[in-house]
Amino acid sequence: MSTLLEGFYSAFAALGVPWIVPRLIVMLVVASLVIVFISVSVMFMIWWERKISAHIQVRYGPMRVGGWHGWAQSIADGIKLLIKEDVIPAGADRLVFALAPMVVFAAALAAYVIIPFGPNLIVRDLNIGVLFYISISSLTVVGIVMAGWSSNNKYSVLGALRSAAQAVSYEVPLVVSILGVIMTAGSLSMIQIVEAQQRIWFVIPQFAGFLIYLTAALAECNRLPFDIPEAESELVAGFHVEYSGMRFAIFFLAEYANMFTVAAIATTLFLGGWRGPLLPPWLWFLIKTYFIIFVMMWLRWTLARLRVDQLMNLGWKVLLPLAFLNMGITGLVLVLRG
Amino acid sequence: MNQTDVIEPIHETMEEMYVNMGPQHPSTHGVLRLMLKLDGEVVTGVTPYIGYLHRCHEKIGENRIYTQVIPYTDRLDYLASMYNNFGYVLTVERLMGLQVPERAEYMRVILAELQRIASHLIWMGTFGLDLGNFTIFMYCFREREKILDLFESVSGQRLNYSFYRIGGMPLDFPESFLTECKAFLEWFKPRLPEYDAVMTDNIIFQKRVQGLGKLDQKTAIDYAISGPMLRGSGIKWDLRRNDPYSIYDRFEFEIPVGSTGDVWDRYMVRRQEMDESVKIVEQALRDLPPGEIMGKVPKKLRPPAGDMYSRVESPRGELGFYIVSDGSEKAYRYKVRSPAFVNLSVLPVIGPGHLVADMVAILGSIDIVLGEVDR
Amino acid sequence: MTAEEIIQTIRSQFGEAVKASEVKGVEARMDVERGKSYEVLVALKGMGLDYLNCISSVDRIASGELEAVYNLSSLNEPAKAMVRVRVPREDPVVRSVVPLWSAADWHEREAYDLMGIRFDGHPDLRRILTSEDWVGHPLRKDYQDERLVPYEPA
Repeated sequence: MSTLLEGFYSAFAALGVPWIVPRLIVMLVVASLVIVFISVSVMFMIWWERKISAHIQVRYGPMRVGGWHGWAQSIADGIKLLIKEDVIPAGADRLVFALAPMVVFAAALAAYVIIPFGPNLIVRDLNIGVLFYISISSLTVVGIVMAGWSSNNKYSVLGALRSAAQAVSYEVPLVVSILGVIMTAGSLSMIQIVEAQQRIWFVIPQFAGFLIYLTAALAECNRLPFDIPEAESELVAGFHVEYSGMRFAIFFLAEYANMFTVAAIATTLFLGGWRGPLLPPWLWFLIKTYFIIFVMMWLRWTLARLRVDQLMNLGWKVLLPLAFLNMGITGLVLVLRG
Repeated sequence: MNQTDVIEPIHETMEEMYVNMGPQHPSTHGVLRLMLKLDGEVVTGVTPYIGYLHRCHEKIGENRIYTQVIPYTDRLDYLASMYNNFGYVLTVERLMGLQVPERAEYMRVILAELQRIASHLIWMGTFGLDLGNFTIFMYCFREREKILDLFESVSGQRLNYSFYRIGGMPLDFPESFLTECKAFLEWFKPRLPEYDAVMTDNIIFQKRVQGLGKLDQKTAIDYAISGPMLRGSGIKWDLRRNDPYSIYDRFEFEIPVGSTGDVWDRYMVRRQEMDESVKIVEQALRDLPPGEIMGKVPKKLRPPAGDMYSRVESPRGELGFYIVSDGSEKAYRYKVRSPAFVNLSVLPVIGPGHLVADMVAILGSIDIVLGEVDR
Repeated sequence: MTAEEIIQTIRSQFGEAVKASEVKGVEARMDVERGKSYEVLVALKGMGLDYLNCISSVDRIASGELEAVYNLSSLNEPAKAMVRVRVPREDPVVRSVVPLWSAADWHEREAYDLMGIRFDGHPDLRRILTSEDWVGHPLRKDYQDERLVPYEPA
């Protein structure tokens, strides 16, 4: 892979093209690949979620478009959203309104840089990989607050404020729950964390951390039972109530992309990443990731929504102390074992 | 005095925000508008605005002959049309002193109690929806669909049945009805624990509804609250038992009551009422006598001059009809006392002090149908 | 307390103010002068009829009067009462019973909205079912609206 890149670069250098051009080309190609992957996987996930929810609720879900069990339904929906009229409310702050979905999507996209789909299938193995993910994922809330504020709608503002409060209170347990893994692995690099799970997946020694991470991750992607920023029945649709067409599609895309990211991070940190017998590594990785996504969908269609104050209580009074406890015990064990 | 002074908010401060909930909102169950005064997320005041669905029901009732009003009553509480028919024909029968044949009475009770189950099922489903639990909604609709199939086999309609007649019933049950109805009940009874697994026993659901929107007994009587809301507050009052109409005094059933009058109690009362309705239907099916289904009714209905207020226990509470007759073929005055209208009026008392999310739950627990509130 | 006892007590207490009375089943029915309507209802509430079922309004156009009808009952005993109060159309004012029953709030607003009976002492007498700028009271028998199409049987 790297030799191929070097060859590509030197070929351009021989032609006398400035060094920046081939690198930009490579970046563009990689970014497009990631976007294509996100779009395709999101479409699959949306179809999957509709089918799963349907079967949980004793119905069939989409059955028509595309023939076999309505597999093309998401594509049809996507095309419909693309060709819809772009509506910006009269009282909206146009610039911020237009920027908000992009910020949210950019944050979701950037997180894919550090996802290790296989031993060599990673955009960039940053040595601060986990830290990078944590900081990038916090950006989402900026976009959500922008969307809520610029829409000039009270429901949006309420949704955005809820989202901000939720993000602040759930990012802390999320980070602390990951710390146990990082301490055991001794690295922030995603590749090395997977390497460290050669003997045993971290889900076993770090089970409490895994559960805390999963709970906080659900809140992180605003999914039931933590979907209070959107809260269909209370705030209509929360922060994106005024969005329609393509802009709404981007929010939707980002939401599912986020879901994939947190599931992928969970796979990497706790479920041994791409490791597994027989099947190729990337397939193992996807299987594990989609299993976690399935669990998230399962929870969504089973549980009711929490209230704002209950959410805060859970975050600060239960998850955070547990996460700290988990971290302390991990540290103690590590020290005792030398 | 003619000009109304509107209490719409004009001056918002930094501390308070006014939010219009409705008339288009997923959780107002129709076209209800609530003006919420918010302090952060805490509701400090709520004013309901109704009338968006007003369609002159009472005026129409004064301009149609008595039998022609029955289809209009369907549209009052469109989730319990059978019960509206029941209440209306009962009032006219009492006004005229008509006797209804035994078999027709049993048919009425069977259909009315099935309707109560169907109505409570819808309530349960939409209540789950209000709290973010979509799955229970689909489960409830699956069962309701079966009840509607039964109703369709009897009346040919699935929502607005217009099936009761003054003095009896228009058609007998089809031959297959009895077996189908029994089969439905056998199928339905094991479904109720399923709801418990999804809703009642779910810790998130319990935490969401317990202690919300408490309605004490004094306030409940002051506001003339009726139905499951009143029973939720711990008052054992059910018109089927306390002011028996039709043949309800022949059946054995419990009246579930709550204790504190919070949303949880109202939920549990409705949940248990489904069990009791199943019992009543079973008893009625067992005792269903053969015979006539239509009593002796004059060709032209001219009730003697006078007035009558009569009430039945609809799934939402006391459904009253007040009819003034002047001896002609049309009612001189026709007034509906709708339970949802009265129950909704207590919202400004029990609503404030809760979060927006709880507001939705409290409103859901009142179980309003706007067709009935606005008439 | 039976219906007969209710009527006896009310008659002895208010005398001439009770214009007519009858007993129908468990229901005590009485026509009351409007000057004493509030006091009669206070007395009835004192007798245990503390549940206000309904307030209806009737347009007695033949005698040029409007009528407010109160249905009372109790959650402890089977007794019921119906109180009718007639007011002239030119001055349709009845004393509000909101201080007695909060349930009267919306019922009285409805009677005001649709029939035009004004309730003296009501804290917030606004239209409730029709829109705020509605003119007239639709349930009156002489209500006219150019949008109304007369019903003609085929």
